[in-house]
Amino acid sequence: MAHDNIEIADGVDHQVAMVMDLNKCIGCQTCTVACKTLWTEREGTEYMYWNNVETRPGKGYPRNWEQKGGGWESEEHTQRTPGEIPSSEDYGEAWEFDHEGILKEGEDKKLAPEGGKPEWGPNWDEDQGAGEHPNSYYFYLPRICNHCTHPSCVEACPRQAVYKREEDGVVLVDQDRCRGYRYCVEGCPYKKIYYNAVSKNSEKCVFCYPRIEGEGPDDEVHPPACADQCVTQLRLVGYLDDTDGPIYKLVEQYEVALPLHPEYQTTPNVYYIPPFAPPQHSRDGETVDAERIPRSYLEQLFGDRVNDALETIERERQKVERGGYSELMEILQDTNPAEQYRLEVFDDV
Amino acid sequence: MTDRSTWTFVALAALLVVVAGAMPLLADARPAYEIPSPTVEDDLDGTDASGWEDVPAAEVPLESAPSGLPNAEMVSTRSVEVQAARSDGEVYLRMQWQDEEASESASAPQAFADAVAVQIPADPGVQPAIAMGSQSNLVNVWYWNADTGTEELLAGGQGSTTEFEDASVQTWAEHTGSGEDGTWTVVFNRPVDPAGDNRTAITGGEDLDIAFGVWDGGNAERSGHKAVSEWYYLPLAGDSGGPPFESILWAIAGIAIVAVVVVTIQGIRRVRTGGGE
Repeated sequence: MAHDNIEIADGVDHQVAMVMDLNKCIGCQTCTVACKTLWTEREGTEYMYWNNVETRPGKGYPRNWEQKGGGWESEEHTQRTPGEIPSSEDYGEAWEFDHEGILKEGEDKKLAPEGGKPEWGPNWDEDQGAGEHPNSYYFYLPRICNHCTHPSCVEACPRQAVYKREEDGVVLVDQDRCRGYRYCVEGCPYKKIYYNAVSKNSEKCVFCYPRIEGEGPDDEVHPPACADQCVTQLRLVGYLDDTDGPIYKLVEQYEVALPLHPEYQTTPNVYYIPPFAPPQHSRDGETVDAERIPRSYLEQLFGDRVNDALETIERERQKVERGGYSELMEILQDTNPAEQYRLEVFDDV
Repeated sequence: MTDRSTWTFVALAALLVVVAGAMPLLADARPAYEIPSPTVEDDLDGTDASGWEDVPAAEVPLESAPSGLPNAEMVSTRSVEVQAARSDGEVYLRMQWQDEEASESASAPQAFADAVAVQIPADPGVQPAIAMGSQSNLVNVWYWNADTGTEELLAGGQGSTTEFEDASVQTWAEHTGSGEDGTWTVVFNRPVDPAGDNRTAITGGEDLDIAFGVWDGGNAERSGHKAVSEWYYLPLAGDSGGPPFESILWAIAGIAIVAVVVVTIQGIRRVRTGGGE
């Protein structure tokens, strides 16, 4: 097997993976809308965002999800950490608007959510960030299910309704087996499984598996909609064990793409290139030799390895600045879709 | 001995018969784990149907099921009162338990509904494992949920419950009162021998093992996080009909006692009369 030196879940042939370059995210939510349009416009899914983009620092979606537990106690993966189910308020109710009344019947009122003033919603704290002027800072964090190598949601389900697909490690909820117990919702530390109160089942990001299988109307293989529609094309999609692909190189070789909250011990397969920001400024607008995004905050999100990752990127960058060649910089700037989306490499095997 | 004392003895013996006949009702002398299952003529369709007045109830203690799920040991319901009855090819079970507040909706991420279930072996001959049976010894589960209604399920071990198509079980349910007096009443009804594979035939001839489970939705109880009983049984062996059969036994015993007393008295009288001559 091609993945002798890569950790892949037992019984899984190849592991799909995604790398998101946070330096390219402009927070436009096109990925969110692409996902919503494709997957969560059904009854009961109104409040769900399988793909969301949250502003960091911030409380995220659902609110304070990082404080709600789940995952594993240790890398032994024997003991799960207890978790809780977020409330409707934490997710934010789907707002209703009276488009009909205002636009067609000419009602004289502002277009605003019906039923009172909302107090929370997805990305409510947009662009709030942290830090003091002139050194305030924020960045965007797009999130989908991490299709983890050690998914605690799979382990949490007493009915084995949540499973990791053999062919590519996509984590799915069998809608026929699910009975809506929501142990997966509380067991996922990223809170990326959602309860549908109409179907009475839980559901989640499916990594657009019909698209990556080429099961759409045009019979062509497509990357997940969130990646395909991304305005800045910040996502790479492929297989972790495709050792010739950019994902393998970024994650395993250069170690500059990192999982979010590795301490949850689920071994995510969505990786992030950590964000760089301009250095701090003095009151007079002079550049100061101090990082704008506190390193400690990035460590909180991506663990200690973020230090080496940032250092590697900086070193490679300087190499290019000096007129040298850097494979890493080439990969991070590659706009060739054939390299960005390598989803057919194992098809003939 | 005079005629008068003879009649006193006879009266005493008759009293003994009456007491003996009433014993099962007075002392509730049924075996542990038995749920009386009389045949009832009156209406049993409904939580308040008149037929339930004459059906004796069994108090069944409940404990948390050892499922290993988070908070599994924290359950709200301590006991359930169970009545069982048969009526014209139908089986009925009425279950009542205390629940301060009805949780009838699972329409928000954190909301769970109250529920109750009855478990019986698919094959009444062999007692299955208490926790949802096993692959080799299946159980039927009659399940009622305050949000989603009634389901008839088949299971062969934990996590294996599967819904029968076209449920043959129907239910009536009602929550009354609140606080300390809050009570759920749920009636299950099923034909004794409905068509379909793996459906328990409750045709009598042998006792039927039965177990009970209650979920308090307000306490986020669902799945294996539930309050459950041990195995109980409906005394259907020989299709005895429960208490009437017992009454007959006690009546025969009483008559025997009277006969013995009368014969003894007569004997004593003859001896004494003979001795006095």
